[in-house]
Amino acid sequence: MKRINSAINTNSADFQANAEHNRRLAAEFREKQRAARHDRPQRDIDRLRKQNKLTVRERIERLLDPGTPFMELSSLAANEMYDGSVPGAGCVTGIGIVSGREVVINAGDPSVKGGAWYPITIKKTVRALDIAIENRLPVVHLCDSAGGFLPEQAELFADKYYAGRIFRNQCTLSKMGVQQVSVVLGHCTAGGAYVPGLSDYNVIVRGTGAIFLAGPPLVKAATGEEVSVDELGGCDMHTSVSGTADYPASSEDEAIAIARDIVAQFKTPDKTRIEWQEPEEPYYDPNELYGIIPRDIKQQFDIREVIARIVDGSRFHEYQPKYGTTLICGYAHIWGYKVGIIGNNGVLFNDSALKGAHFIELCNQNKVPIIFLQNITGYMVGREYERAGITKDGAKMIMAVTGCEVPKFTVMCHGSFGAGNYGMSGRAFDSRMLFAWPQHQISVMGAEQAANTLAEVKVRQLARAGETLTPEQIEEIRQPVLAEFKRKSSAYWSTSEIWDDGILDPVDTRNALGMAISAALNAPIRDPSYGVFRM
Amino acid sequence: MKHGFKFKDAEYDVGLSRSGDGYRLHLNGQTWPFTLHPGEEGNWILSSQNGGRTVIDHLAVAVDGDDVHIHLDGETHSLRFEHALERLAQLNEAGAADAIRAAMPGSLISLSVATGDAVKKGQTLLVMESMKMETTIVAPRDGVIAEVLVAAGQTFDKDAVLLSLESQDEDNEQ
Repeated sequence: MKRINSAINTNSADFQANAEHNRRLAAEFREKQRAARHDRPQRDIDRLRKQNKLTVRERIERLLDPGTPFMELSSLAANEMYDGSVPGAGCVTGIGIVSGREVVINAGDPSVKGGAWYPITIKKTVRALDIAIENRLPVVHLCDSAGGFLPEQAELFADKYYAGRIFRNQCTLSKMGVQQVSVVLGHCTAGGAYVPGLSDYNVIVRGTGAIFLAGPPLVKAATGEEVSVDELGGCDMHTSVSGTADYPASSEDEAIAIARDIVAQFKTPDKTRIEWQEPEEPYYDPNELYGIIPRDIKQQFDIREVIARIVDGSRFHEYQPKYGTTLICGYAHIWGYKVGIIGNNGVLFNDSALKGAHFIELCNQNKVPIIFLQNITGYMVGREYERAGITKDGAKMIMAVTGCEVPKFTVMCHGSFGAGNYGMSGRAFDSRMLFAWPQHQISVMGAEQAANTLAEVKVRQLARAGETLTPEQIEEIRQPVLAEFKRKSSAYWSTSEIWDDGILDPVDTRNALGMAISAALNAPIRDPSYGVFRM
Repeated sequence: MKHGFKFKDAEYDVGLSRSGDGYRLHLNGQTWPFTLHPGEEGNWILSSQNGGRTVIDHLAVAVDGDDVHIHLDGETHSLRFEHALERLAQLNEAGAADAIRAAMPGSLISLSVATGDAVKKGQTLLVMESMKMETTIVAPRDGVIAEVLVAAGQTFDKDAVLLSLESQDEDNEQ
């Protein structure tokens, strides 16, 4: 496998300007992430301390094996909602190492509205448990939630992917033989009571931990019975009388230590073997990614320059280098793992779509996981291409992506517009992980095109009524559309809505993919099966 | 296939095979047995045969990508590894891609070169736009611009020839 020959001039003015721009974006992202993790109203921190509780970050630090990485997911979920008052969607999820096992961690954040479940909290939790199911990863739940956020109950209770899905996913994991442990660090009320209830093991902290279907005030209202928290669902009652909880703990520290010891009893997984060789750092410095990503979303760049800064030794075996050249396909290694890489170098044509579908089949036959690097404005439009069957060739690629059984990973490097998003394993296509870079933009069409289309519609409506608009009035219609479209196509909006598993500083992409591949190998890779390819 | 190394501007095809606890070097039809063991402070101990007697050398080796620097007897020797795919592809590079064609239909935004300009591999030739995306076309190899067939603002179809390139040598001969 030969090394990619980079054509980048790191001294050029363009490179320097890109680097400055993208470093600033990365710094802004890190600051947003820091604030979402740590900035809380003082009264919320004071309340936790008064209750002898740790913060969610302190709990996770104690849970993880020292010195091991924790891949936090969707750290900026909900950041564009509720005026930013529900940082991280009120919970922390991620993949970490506990007692030598890769596990999913699902932790409520009691410093955000007492850990109340907002609709977006549930979406994030369900996604974390989907990840556990897809990758067969054990789960550690750190439970501390005030329960569902009642003003939004209609948005979190009844639908298929609302709160019930958390419990359905827990049962699914259990049925698959994937183990779960819950640590009850606060009140688990109503639905929340089923999180420890449906876990294989659970630990409860004396004094602060409690599990019940209804808390004392609701019991009094329902039946007139007056009962204390401890009597109703405290540590000693559940561990010695009801058997709802398994292990009593006198402090949070002890509870987390017990949870670690429980995880140490889990069977060591037989991980799926794929091609692997001794890892090698990329030959080209990943920091150069900052200078490669253009400042303008419209500007094209060679995705091979990105590949060269992610893969081992910057080595890449390119498949069909002269066919369908707007889609780059080939093999490389990431942290030693053999992967197939599919990256955009322009709009998708018939030949590039066919090449993509073919390459996905090759990777599946040989059990090679696939990395999709998205920078796509869509499939080519126009008479010539429709006559050549661009729609059916695009359909073949989408069929191949859907039938793909090897783990898929998607990185939103730049633009993601139109149906190209689907062919390149967008969110709907079950990539095991989907990450985005800070400048990423995603929408059904570009902001300019959308603003022009909507302004045009308005102009025609008014024209039918015999009215005309001045250029200023047209601009008044265009501008709000443009602003709204830009806001809702930004990486921050996307990650706030959990359309991805989190934003990455581009230089962290290699490590994130390495961890994601390692986690994915906890599940077997089945043989591929596809639907009907329209020929 | 043997491995290619460049040493003092000459290219060598070198083969390596295992032999007991050491190796055999295959070069110019001859075979040289040797062993290599780690020594002190990251150095290596090379033991080879010369005229029936064993020669022991102490080496320091530094590898920087494809460049290998070997320090031996107070002198530094630099070798460059040449990947077979790279080396064999280079043999036929001139002559390839004389015509710069449009990979997609679009329009020309800007042109950075004119007929007769000498260009280096990777140098920007023009910027085109298609499907909301601006693409920069660069020179696939060193050469001279023989002909420019588009002007700024002009639209073209897929596979239209935009520029043609000839090699520097041809130009000199003319």
